[in-house]
Amino acid sequence: MMEEQLAKKLNRQVVGSLVGCVHCGMCDESCHYVLAFPDDHKMTPSYKADQVRKLFKANHDWTGSVFPWWVGADQVPLSDDDLETLKDIAFGTCTNCRRCTLSCPMGVDTATLNRVMRGLLTHVGVMPEGVRVVSKDQWELGNQMGVLKEDYIDTIEWMSEELEEDLGHNEAAIPIEKKGSKIMYCINPREVKYDPRTIKEAALIFHTAGEDWTMPEEGWDNTNFGLFSGDDGLGGACAKREYEKARELGVDKIVISECGHGFRSTRFEGVNWAGESEPVPMESSVMTMLNYIKEGKIKVDPTKNPERMTFHDSCNNARSGGFFEEPRELLRLVSMDFQEMFPNRAENYCCTGGGGAMSMSEYTPKRLKSAKVKADQIRATGAKTVVTSCHNCVDGLNDLIKHYELGCEVKQLVNLVANALVLDEAVKPVEEAKPGEIAVTKVAAEEPLAGRKILVVDDEEDVRTFLTMVFEDAGAEVITATDGDEAVAMARQHQPDLISLDLSMPGKDGVETFVELRKTAETQEIPVCVVTGHPEFRQVIYDRPVVPPEGYLGKPVDEDKLVAYAHHIIEHREEKAN
Amino acid sequence: MHEVSPALHTAEVVHWIALVVMAIVYTMRIRWLLSFNLGKDKSAPGNPSQSNKQRGARYSLFNVAMPWSMESTRRPKGFIFYLSFVIFHLGVCAGITLAFVSTIAPDFLRVPVVGWTLMALIIGALLVSLYRIGRRLLRPLMRLISTPDDYFSLLMLTVWFAIGAATQAYLMGIWGVTNEIFQIAYLYLTSFFLLYVPFSKISHYLYYPFTRTYIGRALGQRGGYPVVRG
Repeated sequence: MMEEQLAKKLNRQVVGSLVGCVHCGMCDESCHYVLAFPDDHKMTPSYKADQVRKLFKANHDWTGSVFPWWVGADQVPLSDDDLETLKDIAFGTCTNCRRCTLSCPMGVDTATLNRVMRGLLTHVGVMPEGVRVVSKDQWELGNQMGVLKEDYIDTIEWMSEELEEDLGHNEAAIPIEKKGSKIMYCINPREVKYDPRTIKEAALIFHTAGEDWTMPEEGWDNTNFGLFSGDDGLGGACAKREYEKARELGVDKIVISECGHGFRSTRFEGVNWAGESEPVPMESSVMTMLNYIKEGKIKVDPTKNPERMTFHDSCNNARSGGFFEEPRELLRLVSMDFQEMFPNRAENYCCTGGGGAMSMSEYTPKRLKSAKVKADQIRATGAKTVVTSCHNCVDGLNDLIKHYELGCEVKQLVNLVANALVLDEAVKPVEEAKPGEIAVTKVAAEEPLAGRKILVVDDEEDVRTFLTMVFEDAGAEVITATDGDEAVAMARQHQPDLISLDLSMPGKDGVETFVELRKTAETQEIPVCVVTGHPEFRQVIYDRPVVPPEGYLGKPVDEDKLVAYAHHIIEHREEKAN
Repeated sequence: MHEVSPALHTAEVVHWIALVVMAIVYTMRIRWLLSFNLGKDKSAPGNPSQSNKQRGARYSLFNVAMPWSMESTRRPKGFIFYLSFVIFHLGVCAGITLAFVSTIAPDFLRVPVVGWTLMALIIGALLVSLYRIGRRLLRPLMRLISTPDDYFSLLMLTVWFAIGAATQAYLMGIWGVTNEIFQIAYLYLTSFFLLYVPFSKISHYLYYPFTRTYIGRALGQRGGYPVVRG
C-alpha cells in the first residue's frame, strides 16, 4: 500500500533527492534536533530521509531491487511497530524547516522527503492523533481548528463592533462576502480562536488605508494542513476552496494574513496541489502593509514601539518563500530599536512550531529541547520583544520563551503597525488610546462583568488572587476552587456564568475536570475559559469528545484581554440561549 | 601507438569495453531518471526583486565551488571537510585521466609537470580516502547512515588510488617500480570501477547536475536562492 502510494509521489525532483544522497553527514549539524540531542544520531537528517529512501530503493532502484541489503534497503518498514517508529521520526523529530536542505552539497531536499514520508504514513492511517484531528477538521469544516461558520462570523462581527465603537462610527465595519472587492483577506483560524485582536488590527489598517476589501464566508483559512501532513489531496482541496472563493467574489487579489504556513501553502504549493494556475495575484499582508506606508496610504509613528525588538524568520516565509527583507523593512518603519538575531534569513533556526507541530502534544518535550538553539539566539539579542510574521511561530516562540524563561513577548507586524498608526481626525478613535487597548479600556470602564458570577479554578494561590482581582475589578462576583473535584462541586452548587479553568493541577487535572463538567448535566452548559501556562495542552483538550471550551488564554494573562474574553463568552452564550 | 605486452593490451581492451558498457548504462540511468515526470511549479515567482529560476539553478550548480555558500562548508570543521572533498574529487579526475591517457599516450604522463601533478593528486586523494574510511568506521553517526555500498565504494577507490599511484610511478620510472603488473591491475580495477559505478553510490556525480538544478530552480523561483543571509 505504501509502495503504491510512493510511486504516485515520485517525480524527478523527489527521485533526484532519493538517489542523490552520498551519506556524507554534512547535513548533521544544520538540524536543531541534532544540536539538542548530540548523542542520538538518529536525529541526523540523512538518517531520517533514509527511512523513505530504503522503501524507494527496495522497489525502484536497480541495485536495491536485487541486492537490497547492499544499499540499506533490506529493512523496509512493514510491521505496525515499524510504522509507529517511522511516525515518530517523520512527525516527532523533524519540523520540515528545510535548513538541512541548504547544507547539502548534493542539493538533496530532505525536508521534501520527510513530507513524502508523512504523506505515506497519513495514507495508511498512521499519524499522531493531533494530525488526524486537525486533518479531519480541515476536510470537514474547511479550517484546521474546527471553527464553525457561525463562530467565525460571530468573531468577525464582534471585532467589527469593537472597531466601530473604538472609532465612533460605522464606516469601519468589517465587510464579509462583499463581491467585487479588490482584496479578499484570508486568515489563520488561530486568529478566530485565540487572537481575534489581529483581525481587528488588520481591519483598522485596511480602513485607514481606504482599502476596498472583504473577508470571505468560506475558504477563509489560509493554512493548509496538507503541507504539514504530506497529504496532497487535502492540500489541493483546501487550496481550491480559497481560490474558488476568490473567483466567486471577483476580487483582484488575495491577501494572506501573517502566517508562514499559510503563505507557503496558499501562495506556492496550493496551486501545484490543486493543479491550477493562480486564480488572482496573492501576497502576504506584510507586503500590503509595507506598500500602504510606501504609497502614503497610512502613516506610522515608530516611537509608539520604542522597545528593543528582534525578528524571527519563519522557515516557510524565508527559506521556502524568499521573503527576507520586506518584513525587516516594515519593522524598521514601525519600531525604534531593531536588533538582528544571528544566524538569520535563510539560515535562521526553526521556532520548532514547524507549521503544525504544536498539534502533536506527545512530542512537546522533545520539541522544546530542540528549541534551545532558538532560545539562545533570542537571548543573545537582548530584546524583550520577538517579532515574527507567522502564527505558528508565535505559538512556538511563546512556548520556548516560557520554557527557557526568556521573559520576552512575541508580536506580529500587524500588532506593531496598528499600534504605530497615525490616525486622521476622521478615523481617530473616540478615546485617545492605542488601538490595541481601545476596546478593552472602554469595556473595563463600564464594569462589563457586573452582576456575573465567575468560578476561578487554579491550584496556585497567586494566580487565583490575580484572576479574582481582575474579575472583581470588572464588577464580577468571584468564587474560587483549588482543584478539580472542588471545581465540579462548586460549579454544581453555584451555577456560575463562567468558569476560568487551569489545566495543570495536582490530582484531577484541568482536562479531566473539563470533561467531567461537560458530562455533568447541571454544569454542561456553563461556559469555560481555559487559562493555562501550558499551551501544548491546547490540542489535548480540544481532542476530548465533548464540546470544546468557549475560550482559551495562555499565561501570563493580559488583564484587559481576560475581561474582554469573559465578557464576550458570557454575552455570546446568552445570545445563543435567547 | 605505443608498444605493449599482450597482457597489458588485453587489459586496455577490457578497459575500453567497460567504458562503452558504462556509457550505455549511464544513458539508461539518465533515461530512467527522466522517465519520471518533472514536477512543475505553477506558482508565480515568489519575490519579484530576487526570484529567478535560472539564476537559482546556476548558483546551485556552482555552489560546489563556493564553500562560503553553505553553512556546512563555511564552519571551520566543515571547511576542512570541504578541502578534503576537493582533493578527493580532483584525485578521482586524475585517476581517470591516468587510466585513459596511459592506454593512448603514456609518454604524456612522463612529462614531469604532468606526471608529478597527477601523482600529487592521486596520493592526496589516497590520504583523504584513508581519512574517510576512518571517519566512516569510527564516527557512530557515520556508521549509522552507512550501507555496505558506502564502505565498499570507498574501499574500492582507496585501493584504486593506491594502485594508481604505483602505476604512475611505474610510468614515470620512479621509486623503483618497474613491474607493469600495476598498470594491468589498475586497468582491470578501473574496468570494474566503471562497471560498478552505475549501480552504486558513486553514480551520485551523474545525478549531481540534476539534483542541484532542480533545487536551484525551485528555490530560485521562490527567491530563496542565491542564499540570503545577514
